[in-house]
Amino acid sequence: MRSRKRWSSVLGAAAVLMALALVAAGCGSKKKSASSSKTSGKTFATLKVVWGDTDYMDPGLSYRLESWQLFQNIYEGLVVQKHAGGAASADIVPALASSMPTVNSAGTNYKFTLRKGLKYSNGKPIKASDFPATIARDFKMNSPGIGFYSNIVGSDACEKNPTSCSSISGIVADDSAGTVEVKLKKPQSDFMYVMSLPFSALVPAGTAAKPLTNPPPPGNGPYYMVSYQPHKSFTIKRNPFYKKDSIPTVPQGNPDQVVGNITDDLAASAQKVISKSADYDENLLPTDRLAQIQKKYGPQVKFFTTPSTYYFFMNQRTPPFNKLQARQAVNYAIDRNQLVKIRGGLGRTTQNFLPPTYPQYKKIDVYKLDLNKAKQLVQQSGTKGMKVTVYTIGDTEIDKATGEYLQGVLKSIGWNAGIRELAGGTYFTIVGNQATKAQIGFTDWFQDYPYPTDWFGVLEDGTKITNVHNNNNSNVNIPAVNKEIERLSHLPPAQASSTSTNDAWAKLDHDLMVKYATEVPYLNGLLTDFFSTRMDPGCDVSDNFYADFSQFCLK
Amino acid sequence: MATSETGAEFTLDTAAELAAQEAGRGIEGKSPWLLAWRRLRRNWIGLLFLLVFVLIVAGCLLAPVYASHVSHQGVNDTNVGGTITVNGKKIDVVSSGGVTTGPNGEVKVKAGGVPIGPQWWHAGGRYVLGADSLGRDIATRILYGGENSLQVGIVSAAICAALSIFLALLAGYYGGAVDWIITRFFDLIWAFPVILLGIALGTALAINGFHHFGINLSGSSLWIPTFVISYVYIPYLARPLRGQILSLRQTEFVEAATAQGAGPFRIMFSELLPNIASTMLVLFTLIVANTILTEAALSFLGAGVQPPNPSWGTLISAGENTIQSAPWLGIAPGIAIVLTVLSLNIFGDALRDALDPRAKVRIEH
Repeated sequence: MRSRKRWSSVLGAAAVLMALALVAAGCGSKKKSASSSKTSGKTFATLKVVWGDTDYMDPGLSYRLESWQLFQNIYEGLVVQKHAGGAASADIVPALASSMPTVNSAGTNYKFTLRKGLKYSNGKPIKASDFPATIARDFKMNSPGIGFYSNIVGSDACEKNPTSCSSISGIVADDSAGTVEVKLKKPQSDFMYVMSLPFSALVPAGTAAKPLTNPPPPGNGPYYMVSYQPHKSFTIKRNPFYKKDSIPTVPQGNPDQVVGNITDDLAASAQKVISKSADYDENLLPTDRLAQIQKKYGPQVKFFTTPSTYYFFMNQRTPPFNKLQARQAVNYAIDRNQLVKIRGGLGRTTQNFLPPTYPQYKKIDVYKLDLNKAKQLVQQSGTKGMKVTVYTIGDTEIDKATGEYLQGVLKSIGWNAGIRELAGGTYFTIVGNQATKAQIGFTDWFQDYPYPTDWFGVLEDGTKITNVHNNNNSNVNIPAVNKEIERLSHLPPAQASSTSTNDAWAKLDHDLMVKYATEVPYLNGLLTDFFSTRMDPGCDVSDNFYADFSQFCLK
Repeated sequence: MATSETGAEFTLDTAAELAAQEAGRGIEGKSPWLLAWRRLRRNWIGLLFLLVFVLIVAGCLLAPVYASHVSHQGVNDTNVGGTITVNGKKIDVVSSGGVTTGPNGEVKVKAGGVPIGPQWWHAGGRYVLGADSLGRDIATRILYGGENSLQVGIVSAAICAALSIFLALLAGYYGGAVDWIITRFFDLIWAFPVILLGIALGTALAINGFHHFGINLSGSSLWIPTFVISYVYIPYLARPLRGQILSLRQTEFVEAATAQGAGPFRIMFSELLPNIASTMLVLFTLIVANTILTEAALSFLGAGVQPPNPSWGTLISAGENTIQSAPWLGIAPGIAIVLTVLSLNIFGDALRDALDPRAKVRIEH
């Protein structure tokens, strides 16, 4: 599901930043002003959208894509992920900071300088001291993002007792100079990406450390959230204190106002656009009506590949999946094309864990559909006839069908397979609890940021396994793999995104999926954007947080 | 419609009609059951719906025969990648789709995943009512689903009836503290709406099953919805029975039996039980209709029959999402439920009229 965002465990893995710095330097030189984009200057009064359900409208608490997608034009960090489509969307560019930070040679000290004259939507000036206050607020609220900051010097006390966190010694702000200095315990390859997440987006110092709903915290970008009714609606308007192009890396935006209606009902959502009561449908189009809508509305429907992988986890702490042959059997028995079909065609088959958009991706093509071989492997594993329960989400038709398909396959290769369908709202909590002992089931992962640590560090590192809210649902704990993840996260800066490092990540992908067969990846998902006939779909720019509403324009 | 005994009154009351028709005929020496049958066979609408119910039951029981000889597909057999031949043309059971990249890197999607519609008899009996998103044969699943729904409905009604009779006899015969305790138990169950209580119990038991008192039921066992439904309907059946027993308890034949030295259990089961048999029979037919509907509701909400086992409720639930593109998925099991419940209700009414034309027995909610 596109909406699913999960807590990324502490990415204590350190590595370097040279590559990012290089990227940043590159971005600095080819920075493109929003005013020069092809969608700019096409302002209009009101954009009516229908949106998937959100969790919080507070950047310190939300860990859901639907919210982050809106935040990209409301809550800016010192740096942000570029508002651009394609490979450029992985670039980190300065936002509230006037330029990319200066970094010491060890990659442990970052110094940012704030742009001058910026103001929040409530008229308060944006100050350097807001950044440490923002991170302390995250800790105080026990935000799902606090694990991202565990490598900052002095964060230990806040981690130990988050709710009483008042400051972190490793973050030093100087309001008069407008500088923010962040000291890390050790280099961290993905630190700049962490700084681009909404958890790092500045809110005024003194903002209450509690979930703010209506109104949410003041915005610091070109827009702000005027009102928000959870699960119902929201209204966004232009930030009255935002001067045109004051953050050149963030588009000025076309609509003056965005009125959103929140629903998770895919059919109703699409119908609103068809009946012209909404201009844009953020939800996935219902797969059973996809062909019909595509035929009728042609270019108003846009597809985009997401950096996501849909896969089946196999719990290696419980039989039969503690046996390699059993895990290989599932990989050989699954017909990935059929799973794409079940998803209405909205996906590309894969056997890799990393999505193909990554420079570290090297296509794996090992598992050819072979039921006889799968049956033999089950036999060899000595687990034939064993009871296996498939876990899946029961309130989404595609996930439900996917789970039932898997159950049928497992039955056909010799296990006594049953199925347990759970509500989407509680699914990941239940399968992420070790007490459940979930054997096999559906899961997926959408990146938080485009670097392999967000995949291997969170989902495959045995040292990060937890008893509850466990993201490593397969309980993969292979010492050699853990060691390699650690090594790749501690490389000197010059090697962070070098070819040899990328190759090493690719080898890790191959080892995990082939040598250890830890999971059954089956597809990389596609999502849809559906515009009413008054909108120009040519202005649809999908970046790392997907469609950027600020760039939408009328025909 | 007919005139009443006096010939002066025009009525829509079937019971009154039957009583009127019987007025001039001798009933001396005829057993109550024979009289009831005489009345019942005159109610052709009731008998017609009994026939409908019998046909539905027979059809569902023949599901394995249909699967092996007509559809050639098991109840849970998926066929996402399969094709069938219709009028000499091969067509996908579930339409193909996929993604291609154009020469300029643009993403092109061919939407797929839409299951084949009803083929009636054009595909040699395969997919008569179409397929679902996994390529499973809907007709086969409706028949198997009916088997599960009827099994849960009838068995739960039987368990409910047995428990209700026992509790009603105890409460009605002993009265006093026993009656107070049992009626408070009825009140406790009655305090919760049937569906709400069913969801709570069904969901809790579906997660981990039931493993107590030497009974081991997995979460997907059909016995779980069966027991849940039988439990939630106890007061609805037991209360009217208790009332009837309370009044029968004061009658002369019970006093006579007591005077002859009959013990409590003999009086309860030999004297009182036969006298509530006709009421029980009528209530049973009506409660079966209710339990089938409740099973469908609970399964629709995910608290009844667990997938991939079908029931009419789970099939409607699966069809709900595709109501615009593949309406047959939800409509077909819906029609099956309507016909079953309607036939049971009409036959139940007919039975009530036949067994006791003056009775006003009904299930109260």
